Amino acid sequence: MMPQRSFRSLFRGFLESAEGFPQRPALFVDGESLSYANLRRIVYKIASAIRTLRSDQESFSLVAVLAYRSKTAYAGVLGSLAASKGYVPLNPKFPLERTLQMLALSDCTVLIIGKECLPQLSGLLKAADRPLVIILPEVASLAELPSRNPHHRFLFADQLPSREDFSFEENSTPASFAYLLFTSGSTGIPKGVPISQGNVRSYVNYICQRYNVSEHDRFSQQFDLTFDLSAHDMFVCWERGACLYCVPDNSIMAPAKFIRDHELTMWFSVPSVAGLLSKMRLLSPRCFPSLRFSLFCGEPLPASYARSWQAAAPDSIVENLYGPTEATIAIAHYRWDSQKSFQECSNGLVPIGQIFEGQQFSVTDSHGKSVPLGDAGELCLSGSQVATGYWHNLEKTQQQFVRLPGADDRLWYRTGDLVKQDESGNLHYLGRMDHQVKIRGYRVELQEIEAVLRRACGTDQVVSVPWPVHNGSAEGVVAFVSGIKTLDEARILASCGNLLPDYMVPRKIYLVDSLPLNVNQKIDRGKLSSLLEGVA
Amino acid sequence: MKPVAEQELIQQVIGWVKQNGLNGASHTEISESTNLLESGLLDSFAFVDLVLFIENCTQEKLDLLDVNPEEFTVVKSLCHLALQNGH
Repeated sequence: MMPQRSFRSLFRGFLESAEGFPQRPALFVDGESLSYANLRRIVYKIASAIRTLRSDQESFSLVAVLAYRSKTAYAGVLGSLAASKGYVPLNPKFPLERTLQMLALSDCTVLIIGKECLPQLSGLLKAADRPLVIILPEVASLAELPSRNPHHRFLFADQLPSREDFSFEENSTPASFAYLLFTSGSTGIPKGVPISQGNVRSYVNYICQRYNVSEHDRFSQQFDLTFDLSAHDMFVCWERGACLYCVPDNSIMAPAKFIRDHELTMWFSVPSVAGLLSKMRLLSPRCFPSLRFSLFCGEPLPASYARSWQAAAPDSIVENLYGPTEATIAIAHYRWDSQKSFQECSNGLVPIGQIFEGQQFSVTDSHGKSVPLGDAGELCLSGSQVATGYWHNLEKTQQQFVRLPGADDRLWYRTGDLVKQDESGNLHYLGRMDHQVKIRGYRVELQEIEAVLRRACGTDQVVSVPWPVHNGSAEGVVAFVSGIKTLDEARILASCGNLLPDYMVPRKIYLVDSLPLNVNQKIDRGKLSSLLEGVA
Repeated sequence: MKPVAEQELIQQVIGWVKQNGLNGASHTEISESTNLLESGLLDSFAFVDLVLFIENCTQEKLDLLDVNPEEFTVVKSLCHLALQNGH
């Protein structure tokens, strides 16, 4: 397919900012500020290296990036896109097993590695089931890596082509990959969500206009790259020549000083961060005078958090965003209004608001038919931001991406989120229709945890419940096990830690005589939660 | 209430982390130079609980608004800060 000349790829957005504002800062990371010109120089070296692989690698469309809050992390993302490849973010904080799964599922054979991830690299190289090309933009030649891993090919910093060797060619179309993200899968295997350039382009255009983003803005970058909300930070920021401020690992928990020191203008995080800052009394009135916009997404936003944040950042507009990964970052918004929003909240939670202009939604019953206004139903989404299916998973795709009865031929994504629409048109999130939960904003299928627990415990009688839950958000998971005589909790937790990211590892495992059942003979998760309330 | 000495507070904090920490904290060697977050012994939620515990011990509020994170994530400097705030 010929590229559409009018299409503006994500990299084109960055490039035009680099041409328009070469000396303005594009990125602050690891205590260092990089101008657009300097960042582009590094990006072009990486892109050039990827392009040289065209001739001797089989055709590939995705490049994995294993880097963490470093120059290479961001330059790796941009370098992949500049070479007309989508990126697959990997996370050094995830267990090796999970990274290998993501790598194998994505079919990636080309990896960009940050120097901070060298400790993870040797294990990955040893366990990889196919020859890999490893690009190390910030690592000078390390003789032992190639000699110990003769099946893999290495491109070190001093072997990368110079930036002059690269000229950007716009080969991307709206259907080209932007990124492939993995979310928790109920079968125990992570589920891949491919998001196209067109999906992200729709989002970026809408958001840039809504928030009137300019080159004078300073964006927070708080999310790990494996969390799709990071795509908002990067691509909205670079589209308009603004600067991205990567929040260092040690400030993620309490970023108040970072916001103040760097006079950030655009804040984006999960609501839990506001809750933590509030508990630590770090949301004092007017403490964030520089913020223009404060955006929250990823889990329900309690009204009390919105109010505290608004007082801390009185000159900023506070918005609650909502969106599953399948609908690209966020697809609904609600603007907090100190005067009237409290009346519009239900169960103390801020509404998810209205669907972005140009995108479509329907609230449906179990047969896919629209429910009357005010009734609860499943939120279904359609439009230019919505993906068309899961990565190499036809069964799951057919379950979740459907045509609605009585509607036209368009494809709808069934979110599994239960919502209702009020008379003013605002949508309210009521909960999940399945066992998916949000832990600190991360989407988690409890069945995935239970699949790992079953193997580790040697019994099928395992249940995990989100715990503790405050204001509709879970801080972690606790497990119950039955059907075994003794429980080696430390060994089982270690086993979980080898396969699951830390936020999915149970905080505690209880051995019980039997698992309680409800009237339908299903495990009574509510009763287990009540038991936990008793011991808390 | 008798003021808490720094060493005493450090021992109380280590005891609290061993009891309430994550990732097998009770079996982990914890010293005054342990970084509680980098080590994975506490996540952000547990850290908030620890701050509340410390405030209860010292009977003083901890003001972390303009403190560098590296100063309050290590046992010794966190305790130092907690006692400094109140004097």
